Amino acid sequence: MKREFTCIVCPNGCEIEADYEIKNGTPVISNIQGNTCKRGEEYVRQELISPKRTIASSILVEGGELPLVSVRITKPIPREKIPEAVQEIRQYRVTAPVRAGAVICHDFLGFDTDLITTKNVPAAHK
Amino acid sequence: MIRENIDTLIVGGGPAGLAAAVELWKKGMRSILIVERERQLGGILRQCIHDGFGLSRFGESLSGPEYAQKFIDEVTALGIPYLTDAAVMNITGSRLVTIATPGGIREYQAKSVVLTMGCRERTQGALAIPGERPTGVFTAGVAQAYINLYNRMPAREVIILGSGDIGMIMARRLTLEGAHVHAVFEVQPYPSGLPRNIEQCLNDYHIPLYLSHTVTKIHGSSRLEGVTVSAVDAHMKPIPGTEQYYPCDTLILSVGLIPENELSLDAGVTLDPRTHGAIVDENYMTSVPGIFAAGNVLHVHDLVDFVSMEAERLADHVAEYVREGSLPPCTLDVHYDTDINHVIPQKVSGANPFRLSMRVSHVMKNAAIEVRQNGNLIAKKAVKKALPAEMIQFDVPADNLQTSGDLEVTAVQR
Amino acid sequence: MQKLYDVIIIGGGVVGSAIARELSRYRLKIAVLEKNLDVCFETSGRNTGVCHGGFAYDPGTLKAKLCVEGNRMMGALAQELDFPFKRTGKVLVGNTDEEYEQLGRVMRQGAVNGATGLSMIGEEELHRLVPSVQAKFAMLSRNSGILDPFLMTIALAENAHKNGVEYHFDSEVTGIRRSGNENVWEITTAHGDTYAARWAVNAAGLGCGKISDMLGIRGYKIIGSKDDYIILDQRLGALVPMPIYTVPSNTYMGIHVTITTDGNVLLGPTAEDTDNLSYYGTEQKNLDYLYQEAMKIWPHVKKSDYIRTYSGILPKWVDDNGKIQDFKIEIRDDLAPNAVNLVGIESPGLTASVAIARYVIDMMKEREHFAENVDFDGTRKGITRFALLTPQEQDALIQKNPDYGELVCRCEKVTKAEILQAIHNPLGAHTMVSVKYRTRCMMGRCQGGYCQMRISSMLEKELGIRPTEITYERAGSHPFFGVVRSEAESRREAQ
Repeated sequence: MKREFTCIVCPNGCEIEADYEIKNGTPVISNIQGNTCKRGEEYVRQELISPKRTIASSILVEGGELPLVSVRITKPIPREKIPEAVQEIRQYRVTAPVRAGAVICHDFLGFDTDLITTKNVPAAHK
Repeated sequence: MIRENIDTLIVGGGPAGLAAAVELWKKGMRSILIVERERQLGGILRQCIHDGFGLSRFGESLSGPEYAQKFIDEVTALGIPYLTDAAVMNITGSRLVTIATPGGIREYQAKSVVLTMGCRERTQGALAIPGERPTGVFTAGVAQAYINLYNRMPAREVIILGSGDIGMIMARRLTLEGAHVHAVFEVQPYPSGLPRNIEQCLNDYHIPLYLSHTVTKIHGSSRLEGVTVSAVDAHMKPIPGTEQYYPCDTLILSVGLIPENELSLDAGVTLDPRTHGAIVDENYMTSVPGIFAAGNVLHVHDLVDFVSMEAERLADHVAEYVREGSLPPCTLDVHYDTDINHVIPQKVSGANPFRLSMRVSHVMKNAAIEVRQNGNLIAKKAVKKALPAEMIQFDVPADNLQTSGDLEVTAVQR
Repeated sequence: MQKLYDVIIIGGGVVGSAIARELSRYRLKIAVLEKNLDVCFETSGRNTGVCHGGFAYDPGTLKAKLCVEGNRMMGALAQELDFPFKRTGKVLVGNTDEEYEQLGRVMRQGAVNGATGLSMIGEEELHRLVPSVQAKFAMLSRNSGILDPFLMTIALAENAHKNGVEYHFDSEVTGIRRSGNENVWEITTAHGDTYAARWAVNAAGLGCGKISDMLGIRGYKIIGSKDDYIILDQRLGALVPMPIYTVPSNTYMGIHVTITTDGNVLLGPTAEDTDNLSYYGTEQKNLDYLYQEAMKIWPHVKKSDYIRTYSGILPKWVDDNGKIQDFKIEIRDDLAPNAVNLVGIESPGLTASVAIARYVIDMMKEREHFAENVDFDGTRKGITRFALLTPQEQDALIQKNPDYGELVCRCEKVTKAEILQAIHNPLGAHTMVSVKYRTRCMMGRCQGGYCQMRISSMLEKELGIRPTEITYERAGSHPFFGVVRSEAESRREAQ
């Protein structure tokens, strides 16, 4: 089988073409072209098994200079779990001051990834 | 009113300004000041909460705020002076800079000024889309600020005009926040944002992208009620009979960025009509001696990494200018053909190597960018697929350059 | 029982507000009922902002008489009320013998009307005055000028308010009846409020026909003349020292390239008849036409200098043949005693507004003695524009109030202090556009890309309203559906 991919690993966005077969439920790539680095091939393999994505969002901050602090997960999770992840993220809140890199949730949704803040939010001036 | 002298005043504390400041400091420059109009440093990155920043500069994928924080931490650690809540009101050609702050007006007589004001978004008004003027029409950056900084939800049923990167990123962001993004329309026959964003922001969420289409009418007297969309011909003129009405309460515009050069114009800096940024030489110096520019104020980049790296390169030249009081003259023009949209720098000396940044004006497969002078091939860069959405950069070595004879940049099909 | 007003003015545009202000010189209880959420949301705010000389109207008409009077008093008025007005002069440019003759006729007509400062000038003089124009000759009207139509209307309204006039927004008049035994007008609004007044004044602009009918003076035929405009970047203002008009025909003033008091160049108008008096959409064909026509006389239009497009509608009273009529200003003692009926107040209504007001009051005073309001104060101070001050003056302001040191709108350099004053304006208008018209925030080249978030936040905070209550301009124009993250939903503390 043949499939085309746009690699999302880096901004180069390589257009990759892969020939593959499914053997015992796992894809085996017989020929791959268009990728300019090794990560492209890994990306294609992962896309064929189960596409993974990262997610960035925001959570509420109490008493901060800003009403929200931005968050992200540290490792990609299965793409189909993104909506569930967003619903989960919505429920958190933190209290200012908060620093970038603070872990909001370890092992987020059981995917061996952390939900972390990505911004410093100082406490609001009284 | 405070009056001071200073070696280098940096206008704007975003990714370009911060990178320039850090690099200048590392070169031993101490009489420098970053002036930022917002309360926090970081510029527009503060609202770009998605990841994908920093792969080139730091070798890891960061969100916008994290990317900015790396520079802010360095500025703080080094003790580089900065003013926030400080708006530059005016810059003169002799580099007198007037700044409004809550403490009063400050004036700086600067030996050099670094312009790093970034860019602004093209608006509905600039496009002159016919129809009414209801609320519900937002540029992508405004919608992004409302959602990511202000905790305000401005959209439910959404149409996006323009396939710029911020527009596509907002398509995903809005979808994840429960809005329904019906489609993205792009007037050009090719997308204006990066392929990876089409993949992960549109395709992942089954949001269709229609090329060669544009919004030809806005409907609604209070809140937006819908838009008319038309197909366009090869000259980007709407084709009569192709009109389609889309009910929606929100129109997001991602139709281009314009370098923010009002202060540069006040200072007498000459702009390039193609980039809407300053005409600069290989030292990133503008037509006004001692005034330099880098980042999105110079030409719109697609990656912040290249913004910072450009500002870092600029620092070398600013330091030399402050030290020497002048820089070697750059009298050679860099010409280019119609396959190329613009080049930076527009002027060179012919004595020094330089980094050439450019964009093609249409999609070219298996292209080569060639730089020639006096009939000699000076530099060549092969590009598998050249897209207008992707800036092309490469170094032009000094080895074969001569100090007379303009340069010619061409894109050739291999 | 509702309170009894001496005068209810229907319509808070420039004419209604001028009447309110001029009437507040007398000891009268006055209210203005405005259907929009602020003054000047219709014709008064959607025009060219030119102070006309009075030469373009048929001799003997009210348009001619009141325009000339209005023009003469504009300088003093602008000083008293602190709104931007510049007597720039204006040129009507032409190239052909026919146009030269037509301009000659216009000039003679102007002289009959009492307009002064009119002269024919040749190419050399024209290019000395307006180097950027492309034409062979012109009629110069020295006394024409430009004014800020938003701030002029707001200034009149605020001065009226200062002298005791009430403004009621979101108050569209839906019914008027004469209460027989008490000799009062009972006026009902769309929200069901009723007002009683001894006098009623129809200054409803585009709604003048409807209100006239409600007063019992039927039969006026009103059509709209819709004008599309293009606004260009302020940097081009230096190229247009005064409004540039083409030679007018009998029905159309022709396209103009004009300048606002803030230096933006305007291209317009298009003048199309319309029955829809509330549709403000621009048309592609009109925008194309404006570009083409403007380029003929002023070849400096670049589409990259477009900032915004808008349209306005003029209410025109026409006869059965569709011929445009003069202003109608009347008191019909037979049909509607103690009601002043103003019909077809279109251009030059802005220039003439205060002259119209005085004309109206003279008519009222013929029927009733008004006692002078000895406390009347005809001055009003606007919001100080930080951007127009010298650095020394700016510094002095910041030392008094640090909010002047915080820039909210970068393009127009509007400070937090100015925005706060606009939010707490005396009329109590609370839309985002109300702040825009009072300060120029969101009016620059980025069109609020930088400042609109700050302004909506400040409105929420200062007025103590919810995000969903923020209104952009018209009723129902809410920018927000709610918050992204709510207190109620986000309850889980971080680990």
